[in-house]
Amino acid sequence: MAVLDIKGISKHFGAGVLAVDNLELTVGDGELVCLLGPSGSGKSTLLRMVGGFETPSGGSITIDGEEVIHLPPERRPTGMVFQSHALWTHMNVYKNIAFGLKLRRRPADEIKRRVDAVMELVGLAGYGERQTHQLSGGQQQRVALARSLVLEPKILLLDEPFASLDQHLRERLREEVRDIQQRLGITTLFVTHGQDEALSMADRIVVLRDGKVEQVAAPDVLYREPATPFVAGFIGTMNLIEGTVSNGTFSRAGFSSPLPVGDGPVTFAVRPEALVIAPAAGAGAAKIHRVTDYGTHAIVDLELPDGLRLKSMVPEARHWTTGQAVDLAPRAFSAYRDNALIYRSNAAR
Amino acid sequence: MAETFAPPRRIDWVGISFAVVLTLVIIFPLIVVGTWAFTNVWRYPAIIPQEFGLRFWSQTLARPDVWSAITTSISLACVVTLLSAIICLPAAFAFARLEFPGRSLLFFSFLAGQAFPKFGLLVAIAGIFLGLNLIGTFWGVVLIQLVGTLLFMIWIPVAAFQGVDRRMEEAARDVGASPLRVFWSITLPQAGPTIAAAVLLTFVNTFYETEGAWLIGAPGIRTMPVLMISFINNQPVIQYGAVLSVILWIPSFFALLFARRVISGGSFARGFGA
Amino acid sequence: MTLAAASDIVGASNKRRRPVGLLLVALPVLLVGWMVIYPIVAAVITTIWRPDANGRYGISFGTYQFFFSDGYSLANLSLTLWTTVLCAIFLVIICLPIALYLRFAKGRLAAYVQGLAIFPLFVPSIILSYAFIRVLGPNGMVDILLNAVHLPKIRSPYLTPWGPLIGLVWDNIPLTVLILIAGLGSVSDASIEAARDVGARSWQVLVHIILPRIGNSILVAVSFSVLGIFSAFTLPYVLGPAAPEMMGPFMQRTFRDLYDPPNAITQAVIAFLFCIVFGLFYVRSVVKNQRGR
Ligand SMILES: Nc1ncnc2c1ncn2[C@@H]1O[C@H](COP(=O)(O)OP(=O)(O)OP(=O)(O)O)[C@@H](O)[C@H]1O
Ligand SMILES: [Mg+2]
Repeated sequence: MAVLDIKGISKHFGAGVLAVDNLELTVGDGELVCLLGPSGSGKSTLLRMVGGFETPSGGSITIDGEEVIHLPPERRPTGMVFQSHALWTHMNVYKNIAFGLKLRRRPADEIKRRVDAVMELVGLAGYGERQTHQLSGGQQQRVALARSLVLEPKILLLDEPFASLDQHLRERLREEVRDIQQRLGITTLFVTHGQDEALSMADRIVVLRDGKVEQVAAPDVLYREPATPFVAGFIGTMNLIEGTVSNGTFSRAGFSSPLPVGDGPVTFAVRPEALVIAPAAGAGAAKIHRVTDYGTHAIVDLELPDGLRLKSMVPEARHWTTGQAVDLAPRAFSAYRDNALIYRSNAAR
Repeated sequence: MAETFAPPRRIDWVGISFAVVLTLVIIFPLIVVGTWAFTNVWRYPAIIPQEFGLRFWSQTLARPDVWSAITTSISLACVVTLLSAIICLPAAFAFARLEFPGRSLLFFSFLAGQAFPKFGLLVAIAGIFLGLNLIGTFWGVVLIQLVGTLLFMIWIPVAAFQGVDRRMEEAARDVGASPLRVFWSITLPQAGPTIAAAVLLTFVNTFYETEGAWLIGAPGIRTMPVLMISFINNQPVIQYGAVLSVILWIPSFFALLFARRVISGGSFARGFGA
Repeated sequence: MTLAAASDIVGASNKRRRPVGLLLVALPVLLVGWMVIYPIVAAVITTIWRPDANGRYGISFGTYQFFFSDGYSLANLSLTLWTTVLCAIFLVIICLPIALYLRFAKGRLAAYVQGLAIFPLFVPSIILSYAFIRVLGPNGMVDILLNAVHLPKIRSPYLTPWGPLIGLVWDNIPLTVLILIAGLGSVSDASIEAARDVGARSWQVLVHIILPRIGNSILVAVSFSVLGIFSAFTLPYVLGPAAPEMMGPFMQRTFRDLYDPPNAITQAVIAFLFCIVFGLFYVRSVVKNQRGR
């Protein structure tokens, strides 16, 4: 259906702020790409540039090969869903959804048919006469979604659409939106704070940091093979240990592990589930600081002699007690130097 | 002895005394006027009028000076409100939503009129009007009353426009509305109630504006408040004034009905620097 | 009402719109320039730059000298000052307790009291004047009631300096109360509870926590009323004594009845001078307030 191509796009706000920095991204036909990143990393700005609400300082945006950068929002084939849903409170649900079609001067019967169909699609059948304030938060968000979908946009843009909803509803809507998106095969760019959301919905995830792309990858790849320590720390939980390598051994305080790279400083990364602990005979590499039982598994907080905290995931809590000395054995790990991956252990592949 | 576990209701004596005193001071005088308007005979020292009736309504409404004052007042207030809306609302939108040089300074320039004692300012303006032969003319009064409406007709709508969620407007652009269409279909309906209240208040304030009308308008232009002053000063029949008061109060009554929310809401008081 | 963050919906058309913004605000701004700024400047200039006996123009303070040497003018000025000062004092004494009560009370009674306090806003001063005469005037309602219980008549304030004073206080209650309530809004419940918690009694809370925080609002309220009262016209004209009279009626009479615009404008400039401090303070507070939001 549609391909979104973003090339060398930048956005300055005033003199100081560089919100998006020479960014490249292609979203394939029917693909759902999540923009993930910490607050202020430029996610919304990027999305708003695609929608036409911010003017880029430079670069190009094409949709199906057609340059859209000079088009105002109303002339772009994009549909945007806002976090605050931004429903028009002086119109009822039906009118909210039908407004865009009315502007296009579609015949009345066509409007009715398409609005009804889309209301059915988002699960709002029968809610047409409701005023927007008579809806729950989730329903309001569905109206916002329907309002965009009814126009059959080539690109759907969603800016943290579920941020104001509670956990349960968020999960349900997440699935529904993913369903609808796949059914319609609509090319989608989705902004979110939450890695769960990104991991569970996206075909590919773009991790942004300070307006630049850190890594673009499918969720499982991103989880298993983070390209930088930042991505490693941002996706899932990761123990990041700064230390040095000499003669093929990484060491930091009481912790050491073989690491076949050249000598020098290194960031050693190991996931909690890959950090195996065993009761130590003597002083051990670390001390248990706290044990938290989650039922299905337990998380053991560890403290190295120099105070660095690590986490280890264990099947059962009952074998472990606070203050206990343990030895550490990383089963799968990777190492970064100068912000780039330099080594990944076999098991981590 | 009945025992209850309900906590003793504290009687709000302070509130009750405020309510009683304010009722006496604020409502009672108006009730007296209202009573006079529906009284045919009320001679001192009777507490209750000797005869109620509508006799003076027909007599008052039969007076040509009353009718000409009513039409003058209404046409003045309509013209002023319309002009004010035409020149102020676009300006308010510009202040709220557009970027242009000197915006802040110009926005606050409307306070200039508030920094001086009002009647002094009117006399200074009258000095200018003298040279322009505007004294005693309809348009002279229109001009002077128009100036008095600027501050509110700009500041309240500016607040209303700024209160409209930007995202709502962007969502409309997104589904294909042109900027003009966004203004017409989204911004205006959203800001509408507050702007309507501002227009209503402007109408009412202009209707009651006395000092400019008296200073600039006399003797040619006689509005209802001006006529009321002459009734008070020279009219021996008390009921004429009372009936005119009741008629005169009608616009205020509508303001009370429709604009009270805007006034009790914070932005109104803030306009006065609270 | 903030002006801080207005950027265009679509940045792209920003540059094209610049002159449009100026164009849209031009009319009202020009009107203010022509009908407020210019008359004031002109008033000051024409009262100073006057022809002498030979018709030659030059700087002359003649009209001001006349005003400040004329016993009648001075009597009017002092009556105005007396009324203004007393009005301001009464307003604070009356409105502060009402505002305090409304800040802390909830429920139907409080809503009723608030409604009453704001009600005079919906009563034009001319109706108020008429009601005043019917109630407090000779053989008015108060006299009727007193007579009914065999008490002597009151000495009516109608046509005495107390007439306009009472009327002006009545008229200015709503805005004073509204401004004070808005000011009290900045005193948080938590700060009061904290003071209570460390053992402050009601009056101590009032003196140490509340009053310091709303001092500015009181000054704003007073400035606003002073600006209105100093040159009030309708109420003093209808309810006040014929001589001496307040500045409002005095200016009007000089201008219209005596056909003496130079002296009337001189009186206006003198009124400006007496109020300049309040005017500047008032405008400064409003600007500060609007900016802070
Ligand atoms: N209108 C603006 N004017 C100036 N700076 C802005 C503007 N909009 C965004 N910024 C800045 O641009 C940067 C990126 O902002 P953006 O809203 O895109 O972040 P974000 O990733 O969406 O963050 P969040 O997750 O908090 O929504 C931030 O530093 C922000 O302060
Ligand atoms: Mg954002």
